[in-house]
Amino acid sequence: MYKYRAQLTKGDEIRYISHLDYAGVMERAIRRAKLPAAYTEGFNPHLKMSFASPLSLGVTSDAEYMDFELTKPLCQPEIFDKLSAALPPGIRLIKLKPVKEPKPCEGKKHKALMAEVEQGIYEVMAPLTGDWDAAVKAVEKYNGATEVNYHRVTPKKTRDIEVKQYMLEPVKIGMSGDLVKLTMNISITQTGSIKPAEILELLHNEYGLPVALGRALINRSKLMGQGKDLIDLV
Amino acid sequence: MIKLEPEILQAVEKPARYTGHELNAVHKDWDEVDCHFALAMADTYEVGMSNLGLKILYEVLNNRQDTACERVYAPWTDMEAIMRERSIPLFSLESFTEIKKFDFLGFTLQYEMIYSNILNMLDLAGIPIWAKDRNDEASFIVGGGPTVYNTEPIADFFDFFILGEGEEVISEVAETFVKWKREGKPGGRKGFLKEVAKLEGIYVPSFYNVKYNEKGYFSSIEPKEPEARAKIYKRVIKDLDSVHFVEKPVMPYIGIVHDRIMLELFRGCTRGCRFCQAGTSYRPIRERSREYLRGLARKLVDSSGYNEMSLTSLSSADYSCLGELVDDLFSDFEGEKVSFSLPSLRIDSFSIDLAHKLQQVRKSGLTFAPEAGTQRLRDVINKGVTEKNLMTAVEAAFKQGWKQVKLYFMMGLPTETDEDIVGIARLAEKVARKYKEVKGKWGVTVTISVSCFVPKPHTPFQWFGQLPKDEFERRQRLLKDSITERAVKFHYHDARVSVLEGAISRGDRRISQVIYQAWKDGAKFDGWTDLFKEDVWHEAFRKCGIDMKEYSERTRDFDEPLPWEHTTPGVSKDFLKREWNKAVAEQLTEDCRRGKCSGCGVCPSLKVDIVDWKRKEGEVKANV
Repeated sequence: MYKYRAQLTKGDEIRYISHLDYAGVMERAIRRAKLPAAYTEGFNPHLKMSFASPLSLGVTSDAEYMDFELTKPLCQPEIFDKLSAALPPGIRLIKLKPVKEPKPCEGKKHKALMAEVEQGIYEVMAPLTGDWDAAVKAVEKYNGATEVNYHRVTPKKTRDIEVKQYMLEPVKIGMSGDLVKLTMNISITQTGSIKPAEILELLHNEYGLPVALGRALINRSKLMGQGKDLIDLV
Repeated sequence: MIKLEPEILQAVEKPARYTGHELNAVHKDWDEVDCHFALAMADTYEVGMSNLGLKILYEVLNNRQDTACERVYAPWTDMEAIMRERSIPLFSLESFTEIKKFDFLGFTLQYEMIYSNILNMLDLAGIPIWAKDRNDEASFIVGGGPTVYNTEPIADFFDFFILGEGEEVISEVAETFVKWKREGKPGGRKGFLKEVAKLEGIYVPSFYNVKYNEKGYFSSIEPKEPEARAKIYKRVIKDLDSVHFVEKPVMPYIGIVHDRIMLELFRGCTRGCRFCQAGTSYRPIRERSREYLRGLARKLVDSSGYNEMSLTSLSSADYSCLGELVDDLFSDFEGEKVSFSLPSLRIDSFSIDLAHKLQQVRKSGLTFAPEAGTQRLRDVINKGVTEKNLMTAVEAAFKQGWKQVKLYFMMGLPTETDEDIVGIARLAEKVARKYKEVKGKWGVTVTISVSCFVPKPHTPFQWFGQLPKDEFERRQRLLKDSITERAVKFHYHDARVSVLEGAISRGDRRISQVIYQAWKDGAKFDGWTDLFKEDVWHEAFRKCGIDMKEYSERTRDFDEPLPWEHTTPGVSKDFLKREWNKAVAEQLTEDCRRGKCSGCGVCPSLKVDIVDWKRKEGEVKANV
């Protein structure tokens, strides 16, 4: 088997499709691309593919990662062009690399894509509804706090999460056109993380950030492991 | 252009229902085309996107240089509430244009229980509900699909209806519109309706006078405009290889009801089940050729990326070249991991062998439709299936390893007695015991799913009075109490919905008041059990002074004029009467595709012939 890693986007057109639906869309795209894809065994064969950290509904991304396997080694440009041509609106292929499996003598195999993820960088854009100075102060106050709790309610359970343990850097604030731009560098661990929308909610509700919450748009710009983009880990 | 704010899309269930941008969706420059056509289904995105007819018409219309066709479906209740609160009008999924800006809004009429949703969509679009209230600027509201063989209950809401198969006529409608528009819209709205009424298969309800007799029963419908025909026959495609079929389906980003390729093998079914409206309204049998289907299958897999293909038809196992076609498809798609399925199985070992060959996942179970519990009643409905057929079929299935069987039945059929009801339980138990006999152990599940019979227009049972709700419920209890085997599971339909469907499906124009009233009082998504509001409908009938039971339960007289006879699929009333009499006498009628012509009248009145490739081969040999 020949494994490849793709860096893909999730554009505005499809920001409201789920992670599972995104995987289904990619599976059909690989089939349309007529690549010699490898399948799982059994009654209901599926493409051998895996994804990195799932994205929340409504968030776009420049850093979606997918590993997939082919039964024949094709050259990178051929795969790149065929797959690019088969993608639906809202998904672009940015980079593609073969995953070099280490030789048996070198010991360990590549970790699963999902397990390589350690860090995500997100940009939040939202209309300013109040004073710019107040916005800067709100972010400064949040950055200065030593402990911040987020009360997460899901249909299954409710729990409090300490947020600051996941903040790799202070939240940055700037203006982009007439929108407030927040940059968040968030740690993603095997045991948990915090979502950028949740940080935004805290900033707005608890720290008085004057932005229109309902019109905020979030984009994931990077997904990293060992301080590098995931595409550069193979 | 309608733009939905993130906070709206974040707040609703399945927001991708409303965001479009799917692969293969067609985007045209609004100002570059003369005709703007919105195709609608008054149900959710997932249901609407699964409809084969809409997929075909979308491509036929978009293949025209002068026409842009876009899609619209009913917003779910959460989205509707937001749209009403914020005055967001109904919009299309391609250009996000307000629906009322389209020249046409065409609804597919799949079943009666979506009528309230049609009104709701018109209202959300800001289009007057009643056709008479629409001015020259308003969109033309068009209907087509399975329920057009009695459009009277919704006639006053529509500008015109298209009867029968749409591939050719929809293009003629667009052409007529473009010509009328380029000529400066002579005669205004009515001027166009007069032009379109000249086309075969078009029914403009406002061009007719309807009369009722002293008892309040429908007595006549007469044309009042010279362009209106006294009787409108459905359109039919003579050669299915000659018309466009779906080649590039719009690919949803989210799961839909039928999330696979649908390859339509043929149209029509002449097995002649007497309860079946599809059986009379899609006549005669016309098969696509094996070569054409093979080419379509290739195009569809390439353009969609789907790995599942359903070989659809009313009775797919009846396709004359099915064995050969399946072999073709297996060899064409070898190594591409495409799986094939048959949506309906005939009760015989050929079907079982084929299902086995298609490697349908065992656990999913097999479905058969004996429809009635005793041989006597199966003869009444002309089902042409014996208990022996069923036992042979399930025996073959159990030997192949299937462990789940689903059996479809109907309740409330003409002449049905308690013995027939108990017969359903006995038959299901025999199937369960057959498993024990074959396998030497228990471990089978036999699910019986029993619907409530709704008599439909243009069938031999169109005169028959439907059972009252209470009687349906008594028979459901009787059946439940008659089941003694644990392996048999029983599901039944909601009789409350079935009796309403019974009243509407044989209704006349006065029913439109009731539908309007029910919608006003909150009826919507009536086909969704948890949203069905029985009280609202009963109250609507009462407010309009109409007795629902007069429509559902009254047995019509053979000589009585019926409100649906002027819009016909071509089956003659004499044929239907003959079939009714044979039903009561428990006599069978042969399938005409290979056997004797039953004289239904469709072929001569529509100038169309049966297309059956194996029968043709036989004829060629005979001629040599």
